[in-house]
Amino acid sequence: MAAVMRSNFLDPAVVARLGTLDLKAKTIVEGFLSGLHRSPFRGFSVEFAEYRQYMPGDDLQTIDWKVFARSDRHVVKKFEEETNLDCHLLVDVSASMGYGSQGVTKIEYASYLAGALAYLMNRQRDAAGLIAFDDRIVQMLPPSARPGHLVSLLVALERLTLGHRTNVAKPLGDLARALSKRGLVIVISDLLDDPARVIEGLKHFHHRGTDVIVFHVLDRDELTFPFDEAARFRDMETDEEVLASPAAVRGQYLQEIEGLVARYRRELGASGIDYCLLDTSQPLELALMAYLSARGRAL
Amino acid sequence: MPGLSFLSPLFLLGALAIAVPIALHLFQRRTEKVVPFAAVRLMHGAPVEEQHRRRLRERVLLALRVSALLLLAFAFARPYLVGANSGGAMPMTVVAVDVSMSVSGRGQFDAARALAREAIDDAPATHLVAVVRFDDHATVVAPPSSDRGAALAAIDGLEAGVGGTRFRTALSRAAEVIGPQGGRLVVVTDLQRGGWDASDEGSVPDGLEIVVRIVPAPEGNLAVTSVRREADGVAALVHNYGERLVRVPVRLAIDGQAAGAMEIEVAAQASGEARFAVDVPARGALLIEIDDRDGYPGDNRRYAVLDPPPAVPVLVLTAEAVLSNAGLYLQRALEVAGGDAPFEVALIDGRRFSASPSLEDRAAVFISGTRSLNREGREALAAYLQSGGQVFLTLGPDVDIATLRDTVGVAIGVEPDPVRASGGATTLVPADTRHPVFRPFSSPAAAFGDVDVTEYRQVREEAGWRVLARFAGGAVALAERPVGAGRLVVFASDLDTRWNQFPLNPAFVPFVVEMARYLTSGRQAQHTWTLPEAPPGHDGTPGIVEMEAPVAGGVARRAAVNVDVRESNPAAMTAEAFDANLTRRAAVARPAAESEAREQEAQQRLWQFGLLVMLVALAGESFLGRRAV
Repeated sequence: MAAVMRSNFLDPAVVARLGTLDLKAKTIVEGFLSGLHRSPFRGFSVEFAEYRQYMPGDDLQTIDWKVFARSDRHVVKKFEEETNLDCHLLVDVSASMGYGSQGVTKIEYASYLAGALAYLMNRQRDAAGLIAFDDRIVQMLPPSARPGHLVSLLVALERLTLGHRTNVAKPLGDLARALSKRGLVIVISDLLDDPARVIEGLKHFHHRGTDVIVFHVLDRDELTFPFDEAARFRDMETDEEVLASPAAVRGQYLQEIEGLVARYRRELGASGIDYCLLDTSQPLELALMAYLSARGRAL
Repeated sequence: MPGLSFLSPLFLLGALAIAVPIALHLFQRRTEKVVPFAAVRLMHGAPVEEQHRRRLRERVLLALRVSALLLLAFAFARPYLVGANSGGAMPMTVVAVDVSMSVSGRGQFDAARALAREAIDDAPATHLVAVVRFDDHATVVAPPSSDRGAALAAIDGLEAGVGGTRFRTALSRAAEVIGPQGGRLVVVTDLQRGGWDASDEGSVPDGLEIVVRIVPAPEGNLAVTSVRREADGVAALVHNYGERLVRVPVRLAIDGQAAGAMEIEVAAQASGEARFAVDVPARGALLIEIDDRDGYPGDNRRYAVLDPPPAVPVLVLTAEAVLSNAGLYLQRALEVAGGDAPFEVALIDGRRFSASPSLEDRAAVFISGTRSLNREGREALAAYLQSGGQVFLTLGPDVDIATLRDTVGVAIGVEPDPVRASGGATTLVPADTRHPVFRPFSSPAAAFGDVDVTEYRQVREEAGWRVLARFAGGAVALAERPVGAGRLVVFASDLDTRWNQFPLNPAFVPFVVEMARYLTSGRQAQHTWTLPEAPPGHDGTPGIVEMEAPVAGGVARRAAVNVDVRESNPAAMTAEAFDANLTRRAAVARPAAESEAREQEAQQRLWQFGLLVMLVALAGESFLGRRAV
């Protein structure tokens, strides 16, 4: 199944070699949307608002001739030009996001994903904002649906630099308190933090009526621990070193990471928060599908 | 201040080997790669504390390995401490005390101790002092030190023994102890005239002050100088080294039981014989004892062993039947060899030998003819040689040259036709006069010069032969070569008076006997030892010594150990004569210093501690290494 998906979607490592983030996002999204014409998700991209009585001066192309045939009335379709969905893209820029073994680091993967999501939101007239955080909010772009805003957001994503330690709970709490309008919060992080605090922080959004999607980005190495030589494993955030023989610690480690993922999936799911585990070798389109599903519920 | 020095400092270069474990340690550290990883917090298998412990363990292991290598180099360099007691560069007074038998007379050694103590007391305050005891050997009993009490204590612990006097050995050793810094050598001795043995070697450096403190010799000494079995009893010789006639009580004991006693008169500077007409058993031990209160006690007893020495079995192989004269001269010559090394000679002709060839117990085989040997006999001889047998082969007319290769197992290059000597006869000329077979001849060339040989066989001088004698014309007369594990000696003529008259020459018997002894060396038993020579493992005390059987299950042998009668003569020389005999040499500092260093190193044996600690370090390394991850 994975092989089939790889053949239909873009490999993140390939995306990484595309020029600017703008081009990357466009490539991902356009490819994704063209694929949607053959998928059950068709129609989500059509933003129909209402019918109204034809008025002189209206563009004849907007007249719905099928309604005229049925009711002998001239009505025109009205497409909604703006949306009321504010979407906050929360991207973790802590040092641990700098890890990468599949040709792309977690922070790069997160940037592509956030860029693609922003591009998609912009195309659908949703307002996209960006918050970069490690143990605090280091950058913030308020949501906006203006065409120029997308460029600013993509530039901001491209200029993201790695920060320090992860503390997901604190920036989430700060943001939850600052939000005054319901919307959608998308968290892109490796969530290598205390899971209880992370879950508690995410629940704050949900309690305020904000939908939350969590993209849990991990590297393939972090999920499989493929090392085979004894080495000093240095924590990228704390510089703490652990001398270990992989054969000796692999079982325990995999048990820990699987437990962590299972806990996030279980407890976030129970709180109505969408949880999507992504490893950096997976196509970004999968994340877009998760977003569209959540957006459907949010509207 | 004590310091550390080394006898073989070049071995310290071996310490550079520590670079290997250090490099491995550093290399190993570099190869243990550091992997940046995001989810380290999820790894609990190897906590950080263990890493610290491992680092510590690795450092301890490195320290142990480096220590082991350093200690190994240290031990091989043979360290020693150079301190206040080691001599340093201070001048020294060495007291060499004669402890030979010639100072064991009544009151002599007390006088010797007193003189030695005086010498220590008189030593200049700036001198270190040392004490050397000497007889046949010289030993440092108090190493160079400022501790005079130790030197005096060492002197008090000395006793006269039964050894001989060797002045050169003593002086040379004492000079080594004094070393290049110089000093004074005090020799406490009776100045026995026999102490300057010509075979003794040693010298003292020029400029070394030598002071002789003379221990008075006794007025006379009586010594038992020989004991022998006679046909009708036992005879002993007692020598009177005194200047007046004495009556000496002489006692005989056989196997520890008194067997006779008599009193004999012995004139001044003469020997007297005591003859005991007693039944002497075939086996046993004799002791002759005299009373001599004023002389040396060590030579008042003399021992002898009655046990017949085991004869060495030798085979004489002839071509003709036993009734002929073949091999007769060889047989008779071997039979007259007596003393401590008799031979048991068997004469056999080739036919009888071939019928049941057995050579296992034969120490040597003398072959005068091979014509009657059949194939079995030849093969037995060849196998005997290959397995270590000793063969003396004459190449007379009874030797079948055609089958000679089969007989000795190798081609020995003998021309089949005999050569007639030009001029009617030729003589033997020893080519290697140092060879043991010529040992009894003061002038081998003269002894063999009148041996007329009329015919001989030409032996080609091929590789492997060692020519011992030639005929006057240059042809090989006597030669030896190894064959397998054995030895073959070839005489190119005969020994049955057919091609020469050698068996009738006075040199024949000693030649054959020495040849037999040479071929059977190691098979004879020694029954009498004269100190300082002694049986292996013996402590040098005169008496009867039981020796282990040479082979498992064999009969234990006895040997008599006696003092050297040369030591019994108390005749002394003057101090001037002593000094005149001194061999002086130019002072060479380095050998003396090295000798002292060797002595100190041997006494301290620090290398043993080094090796011990190294083993402990290796054991610790092994223990810790097994626990390493």
